[in-house]
Amino acid sequence: MGNIYHNKTAQWIVYAVFFAILAVIPIKIDDSFLLNQLATYGVYGMLALSISLCWGFGGILNLGQGIAFGLGAYGMAMTMQMQSQDASNPIPPFMLNNSLDHLPLLWQPFQNTTAGLILSVAVPTLFCAVFGGIMFRARVSGPFFAIMTLAMLSAFYTIIIDRQPYTGGVNGLTPPSAFQFAGVEVDPYSPTAYWVVFCFLMGATVVAKLITQSSFGLVTQAIRDDAERVRFLGYSVAGYETVIYTVAGLIAAIAGCCWVMLVQYVSPAQLDVSFSLSMVIWAAIGGRHSLLGSIFGAFIIQGAQSYLGDTFLATWLLILGGFFIIVVRFLPNGLASLLESGLGLLAAKRRSSSAAVERNGDANPMPAE
Amino acid sequence: MDLGSLLNALILGVSIASIWLIAALGLTIIYGTAGVINMAHGELIMLGAYSSYMLQFYLGLPYLLCIPASFFIVAFVGLVLERGLIRYLYNRPLDTLLATYGVSLVLMQGVRLIFGSDPKYIAAPAAFSSNISLGFASISTFRVVILGVTALLVFGLWLLFYKTRFGVQVRAVMQNKEMAASFGINSGRIYMLTFALGAGLAGVAGSLFGVLAIVLPTMGASYVVQAFLMVVVGGGSLAGSVAASGATGELQSVLAFFTNDTFARFIIFVLIVVFLRFRPQGLFAQAGARR
Amino acid sequence: MAGLLEIHNLSKSFDATKVINDFSLEVVEGTLCCLVGPNGAGKTTTLDLITGRIKPTSGKIIFAGEDITAKHEHVIARAGIGRKFQVPAVLRDLTVRQNLEVSYSRQTNPFWNLFKFRNAGLKEKLDEIATLAGLKDRLGERAGILSHGETQWLEIGMVLMQEPRLLLMDEPIAGMTEGEIEKTARIFKDLRKTATLIVVEHDMGFVREIADVVTVMHMGSLLAQGTIKQVESDPRVRDVYLGEQEAA
Repeated sequence: MGNIYHNKTAQWIVYAVFFAILAVIPIKIDDSFLLNQLATYGVYGMLALSISLCWGFGGILNLGQGIAFGLGAYGMAMTMQMQSQDASNPIPPFMLNNSLDHLPLLWQPFQNTTAGLILSVAVPTLFCAVFGGIMFRARVSGPFFAIMTLAMLSAFYTIIIDRQPYTGGVNGLTPPSAFQFAGVEVDPYSPTAYWVVFCFLMGATVVAKLITQSSFGLVTQAIRDDAERVRFLGYSVAGYETVIYTVAGLIAAIAGCCWVMLVQYVSPAQLDVSFSLSMVIWAAIGGRHSLLGSIFGAFIIQGAQSYLGDTFLATWLLILGGFFIIVVRFLPNGLASLLESGLGLLAAKRRSSSAAVERNGDANPMPAE
Repeated sequence: MDLGSLLNALILGVSIASIWLIAALGLTIIYGTAGVINMAHGELIMLGAYSSYMLQFYLGLPYLLCIPASFFIVAFVGLVLERGLIRYLYNRPLDTLLATYGVSLVLMQGVRLIFGSDPKYIAAPAAFSSNISLGFASISTFRVVILGVTALLVFGLWLLFYKTRFGVQVRAVMQNKEMAASFGINSGRIYMLTFALGAGLAGVAGSLFGVLAIVLPTMGASYVVQAFLMVVVGGGSLAGSVAASGATGELQSVLAFFTNDTFARFIIFVLIVVFLRFRPQGLFAQAGARR
Repeated sequence: MAGLLEIHNLSKSFDATKVINDFSLEVVEGTLCCLVGPNGAGKTTTLDLITGRIKPTSGKIIFAGEDITAKHEHVIARAGIGRKFQVPAVLRDLTVRQNLEVSYSRQTNPFWNLFKFRNAGLKEKLDEIATLAGLKDRLGERAGILSHGETQWLEIGMVLMQEPRLLLMDEPIAGMTEGEIEKTARIFKDLRKTATLIVVEHDMGFVREIADVVTVMHMGSLLAQGTIKQVESDPRVRDVYLGEQEAA
């Protein structure tokens, strides 16, 4: 009965299979460079997931997800940088080059790894809660909100470049050694690093999935459909929007931390408009209404960029842009909707063969409008 | 601090304002009329710069002729874009935003493939490279030219929108598409023409910016966000964009005088966000404000 | 007996036009009040003002002893006012079941709802309402594909799921068949036992059938109020309606 695509049990089984496959990878692969690369895809997957949650389920197009990601990444880089400083040498070299003779207040909490990690996640999350709260309360929505996130992103981008003594400016931060936690060094090329990212990706996905299945998720989907109507049902639209936007920001902030752990590097490029838009592209191509579809979108696009990129270096952006246009124009709900309508057809066929003709197989209309 | 340099900053502010404004003009027309958020606007500006470069380099066209020629070339690109893609997305504003971003990627990479990533230069007449001195302040002649062209375009657009039959039709479509249709106004045609017009204006901006700075495939990216902010702050109307650009240009110049250019931009971005929090409909709200 | 809803000297202007002009109304608990009047009399605007969609220029709205003037829409809805819109507004991308579920809004706090996967009492209520609205077989369908009549019923169902104390029904029977209209009348009369209703309607036959009190609006003001008999014999009401018929 019905389309198996919408069956909750079936969805959870697919999720389980998906993560089982990801879990097998480090056992089968011992190319540490490849493993590191796959782990970065996991980070991109988290970003696509956060976009899917916010945009696909909450209807909030966020073109500034790079803010949460970037702030998380900078926090992590600062923590890692301070891990390589000691009492005899407390000031990072780039600050000395910028003639700072003492550690700025902004950096001091990061001397403690735990405090640094907490700040790396808390600051971006708090930013989202405050910024989102202010915007949604003012009923800024749709394309307007997208532009506001873009403006905010540009603001962060410029300030980071401008405050070179504190942020490393255009060069960014390159912590000299790997991240250490509780006395253990997390080698970015080791399976440990992969497992860390794997766990966060899985955790984020499960949480996101549970959110979409909760009463909260139902309300956000209603808001996505018609925010104005939902107000008259007694729900504070701004409250729901702020929460989902903030949760998405939290996921992106964690992704930022993981990313720096893997690449030991952060620069303003992580807050560049084009990177935030790539996240949206991943989710759009994979299917923003599907969490797993969006993660897949990130894997496919980034994987293709790495492997086709070598052969089609010059034309890659051309291909990506063209593909993206086609998806938006003809497949607004992404590749996942192909699967959805495919399974829907299958279900309809089964139904029409078993029962007499009972309405048309319109239970799963193509999202064609 | 002396009064002279502050005055200089104020005059420079007018020039900056004209740059913000000319970058935003095309977008204002397109957004104000059709509600389309055209993320490829920056790349249309870039195309304008490359058209001028090509015309000058290969055909030896004098610079002053390159400006109107760029208008027509980019307007044609806009026309093709509208017919081929945008017109299918009019009732899906977020999707137009995304699709046009795809277009911007294609345009940027396409130009890079043809012309390479190395910078190109557009030569302006020697007279433009001098400085005009006002005693206490001085400003480059070319910036005055930009100011002049911007003023001319604003005046032209005002005439077009408020004094011609076409303008009446455009405003009718803006207010109510269905109603306009019942008076025999073909809204599809209006959208197509305004999109082409907006693209053409981006072309003009590009041919000017190409002289002001170097011509690069990526040059458009830096203009699109700020152009958008002008349109949104202004509320999508011509007068709104003029006022928004004026205020921002002056503010940026004065702030940069006290701090530095980058920090000034940061403050501007933050101020715009704060401003829109309290006035989401922009400076001059239009009838039936769009959300 | 004090009114459940009291409107005191309500006025609303858009620019220079006064749409609602010094309008007062009191609706007694457990009654069904029909709001009638020619097009442009300000009926829907009044509902907009009650539900907080627009803010009045002056005047006061008291609901259950509480001043709800200029409160946010969701606060007013939570206080116990449910509304069916003139142009049926359902959540078109969600299924019929989801539409009804989301309308069962006893818990509106986003944080609580994050941890809520089962809704106590929802199933019985949903069954009851879906049967009442005749949408039992359509629960799995996307609301966007419903016919106009079904959409009307779905929105009435949504309002009922909210379990409001005061129901505002803006032209509920538009597009319904004779049989459905009779059914609606029956349901409304039933509802009166537990709730209070304000129904905006043009169909005078339907009004005659259901109304306890009829309030006639004209040009944003109260023209007449009373039982259907009183109102129909009021010469001023006749003038307004006859005048309109001549114009039409």
